[in-house]
Amino acid sequence: MVIATTKGLSKAHEIYADRGQRVRELRKAGKKIIGYICLYPPIEIISALGMVPFRVFGDMSEPITAADKVSTTVVCPFLRSIIDLGLKGKFNFLDGIVGAHTCDIGMTLVISWRDYVKDAPFSHLIDVPHTDHDPAVDYFEGQINSFKRHLEELAGEKLSDDKLKKACELHNKQRKLVRELYDLRKSDPPLLTSVENIEVLVAVFSLPVDEGNELLEDVIKEVRERKVKPVKKKARLLVWGPVFDNTSLYELIESVDANVVVDDTCVGTRAFWADVKAPYNLHALAKRYLVDIKCPRTYRDSAHHELERNYDKDLDSRFNYIKKAIADWKVNGAILQSVKYCDTHGYEVPNLRHYLDTLGIPSIYIEHDYSERSLAPIKTRVEAFLETLG
Amino acid sequence: MPGMDDLTSRLYFAGIDIGSTMSKATIVDADGKMLAYVVGPTGAQHRLRANKVMEDTLSKAGVPLSDIAYIVSTGYGRVNVPFADKQITELTCHARGVAALFPDVKTAIDIGGQDAKVLKIKNGRLVDFLTNDKCAAGTGRFLEVAAETLGLDLNEMGNISLQTDTPVKINSLCTIFAQQEIISRLSTGEPLPDILAGVYIAIATRVVKLARQLKVEVPVVFTGGVAKNAGMVKAMETVLGVPVLIPEEPLITGALGAAILARDEAFKLVQRGEYQAHREKKLTEARVDFGEKAK
Repeated sequence: MVIATTKGLSKAHEIYADRGQRVRELRKAGKKIIGYICLYPPIEIISALGMVPFRVFGDMSEPITAADKVSTTVVCPFLRSIIDLGLKGKFNFLDGIVGAHTCDIGMTLVISWRDYVKDAPFSHLIDVPHTDHDPAVDYFEGQINSFKRHLEELAGEKLSDDKLKKACELHNKQRKLVRELYDLRKSDPPLLTSVENIEVLVAVFSLPVDEGNELLEDVIKEVRERKVKPVKKKARLLVWGPVFDNTSLYELIESVDANVVVDDTCVGTRAFWADVKAPYNLHALAKRYLVDIKCPRTYRDSAHHELERNYDKDLDSRFNYIKKAIADWKVNGAILQSVKYCDTHGYEVPNLRHYLDTLGIPSIYIEHDYSERSLAPIKTRVEAFLETLG
Repeated sequence: MPGMDDLTSRLYFAGIDIGSTMSKATIVDADGKMLAYVVGPTGAQHRLRANKVMEDTLSKAGVPLSDIAYIVSTGYGRVNVPFADKQITELTCHARGVAALFPDVKTAIDIGGQDAKVLKIKNGRLVDFLTNDKCAAGTGRFLEVAAETLGLDLNEMGNISLQTDTPVKINSLCTIFAQQEIISRLSTGEPLPDILAGVYIAIATRVVKLARQLKVEVPVVFTGGVAKNAGMVKAMETVLGVPVLIPEEPLITGALGAAILARDEAFKLVQRGEYQAHREKKLTEARVDFGEKAK
């Protein structure tokens, strides 16, 4: 069997190419596989109840044909791709799905899934408030609690404090390992390409947490020891935006004179930057997911208790984590990408570009329709952007 | 060690711009002065021989290929010009070409056959840009569709539109829907000049919307094939609210910029001692594949 014989980067590459391979085996062996959409379902609960959390992505190379029956065409093509694959039976290894009200279409997707995708009978929707204020955290904790109870029914067992603690520690370990993986790109040239990085992370999202951790440890060791390294390029870029679960954009950028050294996307740093803090309980989970994940779907202003809004303070409150990444990874340009019709990210762009301007970081905004083919014209824009960097 | 002497016998530089609709080439001398240019269609049967445009330019300038020190290719087809020394995007090349003709330029608007771009230029350098290259609305193609629908020639269409000051409002910017709208306007008896002027206003509105995202600063230069059309120029000035400058030949700014950048690049290489003087250069077939996956 392929999986047993390969490890490290080549194993990541194999799983990236066929994401369901390991969970299909586990399911045959009696494990329950729970698909989750976006970053907001607390996966620690899934792992703690002995199930496997599997991050659901779309497929940029598969034309959307079946989804038209259940959605309009003027919504997020990433989420449309997911429901399209679901309708085509491509997620038939899942026992269920959990989604969250990350955005309106994200919520609708879970409902459509429940109504139309028959091979995964369990479905759950978590409501997520859109600010990070204290009452919002309390409300979200209640939502996590009802998810927990629903999942306990499916598991046929109760969630114990001890199991939750163990799961939190394992997932925190995973986050720490991913941050170590990102450290490998702080040097110039970086030791890992962004294409390899995406393959590793997509693979991690397709494995049980302990196996994902093992893969990360192998990759980090392999990369530190290997002789062939990525080459030094003119630009060290940060890529920002919603989900990009595919290597194509990174291949395109790295085919010209640039290395992507860090990102702010939900397949990258956003998913792994924040730990769950002890004591490991539902409130800690609520804080980790609602407050500490930095996704524009949650609005974080500076004026929690102030009546007057200060624009600059607001910008800093929303984006200073990006400033830190720019300094730590020595970034000299930013590519803001978004999938078409994503209001959540689209509204963020003018503010973020302004913030980057004040930091002296040139940026470019590109929009794609979540298909590999649509990327070709983007290449010219990326090249021209690099030419403006001088 | 190669030095400046290597360039003395080859003091000419060329730029070739393979656009979606037209291919253009220019040759400049060591001062960046343009000696000749040629514009030819890129069209299906010409795609495989974009070198023709280069050949024609050489003969027009009376310069043999062996005297060309450096060639830069640009435009959609830039990656497939085998005789080019370097590829530079059309955005940077346009900015350079426009700045060569209008040194004070701050904003350039280029409408090509299948795309529109807005460039912000500072001290002759491209500093920011936006493009519309996903859809034919607001491009030359939109005008072609309108002309086809009305059975008019493009220049004729521009002149007829100048006869009115009361353009109709075309609501749809989608090329296909606008075509239907033109037909329905005709059937309700709206005067032709008003409809045509409305079509130009619709395109200008679309492109100016793009430009406003980058803040329009004067002087504004308007280029691309569409800038040759009198109706389009009037509409652009109306919507922008400021006059626009138009080069004598608005199609060749990209190729001119490419040639000037070729000169800059060659001088830079000579200074660094990296210029390869006696390379064999041949005008091999330029193969242009459109819509190829970016890989």
